Amino acid sequence: MSALSMSGALNRALADALEADDRVLVFGEDVGPLGGVFRITDGLAARFGDRRVFDTPLAESGIVGTAIGMAMNGMRPVVEMQFDAFAYPAFEQITSHLAKMRNRTRGKVEVPVVIRIPYGGGIGGVEHHCDSSEAYYTHTSGLRVVTPGTPQDAYDLLRDAIDSPDPVIFLEPKRRYWSKGEVTPGADRVGFDRAVVRRPGRDVTLIAYGPMVATALETAEAATEEGWDVEVVDLRSLSPFDDETVCASVRRTGRAVVVHEASGFGGYGAEVVARVTERCFHHLHAPVLRVTGFDIPYPPPKLEEHHLPGVDRILDAIGRLQWDDEVVGAGRGA
Amino acid sequence: MGTLSDEDVELLVGIRHFELALLRVFGEGKVNGTTHTCLGQEYVPVALAPLLDGDFVLSNHRGHGHYLAQFRDPAGLLAEITGRAGAVCSGVGGSQHVHRDGFLSTGVQGQSLPLAVGMGLHYKRTGANRVAAAYIGDGTWGEGAVYEALNMASLWRVPVLVVVEHNGIAQSTPTTRQLAGTIGDRVRAFGVDFTEITTHDIPAIRSELAPVVDRVRHEHRPAVVQFTTRRLGPHSKGDDTRTAEEVEALRAADWHAELAAALGARFHAIDERVRTEVDRVVAEVQARPPSQWADLVEAGVVR
Repeated sequence: MSALSMSGALNRALADALEADDRVLVFGEDVGPLGGVFRITDGLAARFGDRRVFDTPLAESGIVGTAIGMAMNGMRPVVEMQFDAFAYPAFEQITSHLAKMRNRTRGKVEVPVVIRIPYGGGIGGVEHHCDSSEAYYTHTSGLRVVTPGTPQDAYDLLRDAIDSPDPVIFLEPKRRYWSKGEVTPGADRVGFDRAVVRRPGRDVTLIAYGPMVATALETAEAATEEGWDVEVVDLRSLSPFDDETVCASVRRTGRAVVVHEASGFGGYGAEVVARVTERCFHHLHAPVLRVTGFDIPYPPPKLEEHHLPGVDRILDAIGRLQWDDEVVGAGRGA
Repeated sequence: MGTLSDEDVELLVGIRHFELALLRVFGEGKVNGTTHTCLGQEYVPVALAPLLDGDFVLSNHRGHGHYLAQFRDPAGLLAEITGRAGAVCSGVGGSQHVHRDGFLSTGVQGQSLPLAVGMGLHYKRTGANRVAAAYIGDGTWGEGAVYEALNMASLWRVPVLVVVEHNGIAQSTPTTRQLAGTIGDRVRAFGVDFTEITTHDIPAIRSELAPVVDRVRHEHRPAVVQFTTRRLGPHSKGDDTRTAEEVEALRAADWHAELAAALGARFHAIDERVRTEVDRVVAEVQARPPSQWADLVEAGVVR
């Protein structure tokens, strides 16, 4: 066990996967000698050679298509889209080939491609460097969509993703690349499509993922001053969705808030709210609320702190969960 | 036309009769959705079939001829298109999205080329001496993915062969209204070999293309071959904006009448035999029960 940044954990996961399996390849824009814009592939080309870790032209559709062609021949490509919005030229390959190949062939052809995408804001970037694009992918059947919230999960989920026979959209919360945590490579993994309770609490379930996990945990600490005991659930896998873990938590607390950076309208949180409401209706003391980015294109760097959900906005939402209409015998005060 | 084997003639007229039968079946309301026939273009995959033996063929929306030239399996393809038992992809892929070992079609324009690059790169690295061959149309040259793939194929010297069926019309838009410059100039700008085929003389085509395919296979030099060809039917169904005179002129230049005249009784004997066989296949496939999907978990589609 050692303290690693999330970027370090991702780098270690790639190196360990390349070491463990000759079929693993890493390619994309500037992932070779440079090691990627965020240095996630740092040192890999030197260590594993430019046959297995290599630079490509600026051609996202070409990159993903090449990965599919190689995966259909038994390789396990891990490709990098340099930023969230850079993946959009590859959307056709992702939705029309990657997501559909297995279904189209009734299971005969597997396409084990991992597409790593640094996503989300918080680094003072321009709009096409800060998109939260998860809903585009979760809306596409046939893809796994995962996002780590901690360095350990960055390692575990990336290894899970590379091991998976399914295509995986691996969303990396770029603002958390430099956050540190204990990482034990080879530790028992939680399970690829499981959510986890990051912090137990009795009063309200805060449902978060990726970059918002840290914000949710911070909020939970701050909430103790208000007298609220907040449980934080880290989704990890956005698709498929772990109804069991999420609903067990909400049934315990009776209240829930979903948090994400992406705009709220038509966002991933809407699906979470719907699922929780459909499954936990009789346990709920208040509507399930969302705290999200505003329904605007990503703002200029100086305004992003207002756009991204922070502790205050989340606390405000928790405060609106109809605490005065307490149902005796459940949730807070039970 | 030069000398054609009986097998070549059988395949040529077999594709023709398959497409005509498909239009008939469509007219009877037995095909869901739409379908795109390759009437007039049959000779292209027939000419290439022996050159691409054992290779991987990526096809497009107008791919029935490509499939039949590769596998001689009208029953499996018709079952796929009409959702009957024995369908190549259990009826999930339909006319445009067929997969079989060594074959993949997609109706999404230009998107097969990046896959061909990945496949070709793998073949090159593993010393497979195999070619990834992708059929596209002239309209496909409006798609950006084509250029991403050409760049990568040339840069990395990947054994990719792009076969352009240039029929002069993209759905309803004539090439003159959708393509600036020429395909050849675009291809050569990438340092990729370009060959233009204007004849439908199959032996002549094979002689000219054998060394081209050899270079792709053994020297890993990607190449583009453009066939100037004719689409006799509509793009799909009921969407032909050409005048009757225009289509009639195309029909007059079609390979079919020329071959019939050249081969005489031999042609008619084969034609009659193949037509009867296609009719038999159509009746037999239509009598089959609907395609059943295997249990999704059992099939590995759902885990």
